[in-house]
Amino acid sequence: MAETHSLQDMRQQAAITAKVFIQRDYSSGTMCQFQTKFPSELENRIDKQQFEETVRALNNMYAEAEKLGSQSYIEGCLACLTAYTVFLCMETHYEKVLKKIAKYIQEQNDKIYAPRGLLLTDPIERGLGTLYSDC
Amino acid sequence: MPGFSSGGVGGGVGGVASAPPRPFRPSRYVPVSAATTFLVGATTLFFCFTCPWLSEHFSSVIPIYNAVIFLFTLANFCMATFMDPGIFPRAEEDEDKEDDFRAPLYKTVEIKGIQVRMKWCSTCRFYRPPRCSHCSVCDNCVEDFDHHCPWVNNCIGRRNYRYFFLFLLSLTTHIMNVFGFGLVYVLHHQQELDTPGAAVTMGVMCVAGLFFVPVAGLTGFHIVLVARGRTTNEQVTGKFRGGVNPFTNGCLRNITHVLCSSQAPRYIGRWRGRQMVEVQPPFLRPALTEAQLEAKVLDNGIQNDRHSTRSKSSLDQMESQSADAEAPPPPKPELRYPGLPRADTEESSLLTEAPPTPSMYKYRPTFNSPGRNHTALTHPNKMIRGESLDSPSPSILQSSRQPSYRSEPSSLDGTTVVGGGVGVRRGGGERGEGPGGPGGTAGGVLGGMSGYSLTGRSYTSYPSSLVLSTGGSHSSSLRSAHTAHNPLATLHSEGTTDTSYKSLANQTPRNGSLSYDSLLTPSESPEFESTEVVSPSTPLQGYTSPFLSAQIAQQREGQLLQGSATFSSPHKAYLRAVSPPLPSSAGPLETHHLLQHNQDFSSRPPRNPSSSSSSPGARLLEPPVSPPPRGLSLGKSLSTSRPVLANHTTSKPGGGVKKVTGVGGTTYEISV
Repeated sequence: MAETHSLQDMRQQAAITAKVFIQRDYSSGTMCQFQTKFPSELENRIDKQQFEETVRALNNMYAEAEKLGSQSYIEGCLACLTAYTVFLCMETHYEKVLKKIAKYIQEQNDKIYAPRGLLLTDPIERGLGTLYSDC
Repeated sequence: MPGFSSGGVGGGVGGVASAPPRPFRPSRYVPVSAATTFLVGATTLFFCFTCPWLSEHFSSVIPIYNAVIFLFTLANFCMATFMDPGIFPRAEEDEDKEDDFRAPLYKTVEIKGIQVRMKWCSTCRFYRPPRCSHCSVCDNCVEDFDHHCPWVNNCIGRRNYRYFFLFLLSLTTHIMNVFGFGLVYVLHHQQELDTPGAAVTMGVMCVAGLFFVPVAGLTGFHIVLVARGRTTNEQVTGKFRGGVNPFTNGCLRNITHVLCSSQAPRYIGRWRGRQMVEVQPPFLRPALTEAQLEAKVLDNGIQNDRHSTRSKSSLDQMESQSADAEAPPPPKPELRYPGLPRADTEESSLLTEAPPTPSMYKYRPTFNSPGRNHTALTHPNKMIRGESLDSPSPSILQSSRQPSYRSEPSSLDGTTVVGGGVGVRRGGGERGEGPGGPGGTAGGVLGGMSGYSLTGRSYTSYPSSLVLSTGGSHSSSLRSAHTAHNPLATLHSEGTTDTSYKSLANQTPRNGSLSYDSLLTPSESPEFESTEVVSPSTPLQGYTSPFLSAQIAQQREGQLLQGSATFSSPHKAYLRAVSPPLPSSAGPLETHHLLQHNQDFSSRPPRNPSSSSSSPGARLLEPPVSPPPRGLSLGKSLSTSRPVLANHTTSKPGGGVKKVTGVGGTTYEISV
């Protein structure tokens, strides 16, 4: 809570912030994709290209997580053979990609968004519902 | 603040908005206990009595094979039972409150060219993603909800469908094995049927034979479902009957998706890495231009103070009339804003005044573009990052307090505070009787708003416009009734509705929803904001309670986006700011309808809890039209009354009971 305090104090001094939500794009089914449409709220905050690139990269990573590839297949077979005890020791493919995504978001925040006063949140924290950016 | 639920376990996300602890119901555990007993017990007997002879007489591979199959069955059974099916964390209440009053019940998205409706879940407070459904037994929204299986006492959803399916397959195989080998044993011991071994084997065979029929039937059913790419819920509710299933990728891909895809992550109980990001501090936000504010609301479902402003002002008066019994959970500002003493004082004072209104919160679905604020987790997240939710709220509180801010939790307004100036402006606009008098920078606006709210005396009791959302239809209807006499009040509601519509419009047009395209355009919103504030006195004839608008929106969705001129016009009228009232039609008339319907609905017990224990294979339906139907009902009533809109009267259809067809195809009887 102490951290919260300090951040809040900072915020208090700074300014009121808002949230810009980037919604899920369901046009291709229930796959996790986010809309690349540039929210006008961010118009003068960040470069449109940059933003779209970030969202596209995230979409690609989520697609990779959900891909029905050899890795997921092998993982499934192994799990069956070991009566799913393998999940106790090994991280699933999806989780690995989620970690990658978290790192990517962190890195984007550090490099691009934070200097502009924005903050991207990891969608997994919201149940992969929305990606949002704190202004 | 309760938002921290780092240790959340399946089935219950802690946090602000979590449901009250469910009572322990032992009856829930009967089927699963019975299933476990039969499975383990019968198999053990089989291994003890039948297998020794089989291994001697034929080969020892038989018991090993049976053991493998049995272990596989058991493993899948355990995974299906104990694994989180894909529960969505509840969205935080505070965050959504401002939207609760404005959001329509449904939001449409286009999936592979097919319009799919996302319904607002009042319990979890977000728009359910496609294929998500709320399980009434578990009281959770589950992703890719299949059904609630009583035999495993768990929902079957995205994460554990594979295990459930494999459990069925392996159980069928196991039963066949047990029955088959038991039969072999019995056939070889026909002369010694009175021996314990044979007797037990026959008993086990009976049990196996008994269970074989339903299990095999269910397995076959699920094989078909997997091949078709449907969930049990979709099959049973007939969602794609005669239509196209947008979620299918072909038989082979569907099967591989079920069996070979990587294990989906859980949404609750995750470890949240604390993000300590150095955000440039004074990213002082300049007051947004009207256009920007407009965009905020409309575009991408941005949450911002505009939302709150709009909703507040418009629904403020509506809220006061809410007759719903349920009170929205009051915000807990002390907890939320520890670092903001200013906010604390304001909030506490706010809380003391907190009025009832509440039901609105509960029932009115909010159009929350972020749709799913699944989050008990977001709260801690926010805290960690010192998110805007906390900081804006105090500011909003301040501004909003001035007029009579009552029960409205500041948090509602909070999240989207855009800027100090804007916030103040908003606050002023909102509330009904302003106890403290508007103070802030936008003095004029505040004053205007106060005056505005005062005119709608009947509504003033309700504090913030934000809160409007409760009991959506119910309260709004009540309000509407009152507002019939008070065009100004309607103006407020109109505003709110506009907001919701706009948001909706923003959402849907992207997906090609025609109905909303004709609705408010972004450009109108700013007008709305400014004009409303400036000339509060102008009677708005084109009144449409926000709630009504929402209903209309829902209606529209149900009608698959039929652009409705009637609908648009009231909005436009409203937007023009209160000046040229528009075809009043909608307003008072709708209000009345709204009122009637709402009252009727409120008295009806919520429908549904559809899915309670359904035997596997039977169906589990997610409450097709759960509580929020208030809005739904209104929409229906609106549709029926639509032709009458032209009358600028508050006359309603004749008395008696009216049957209205709802958006979802359900029919309601409304006593008129």
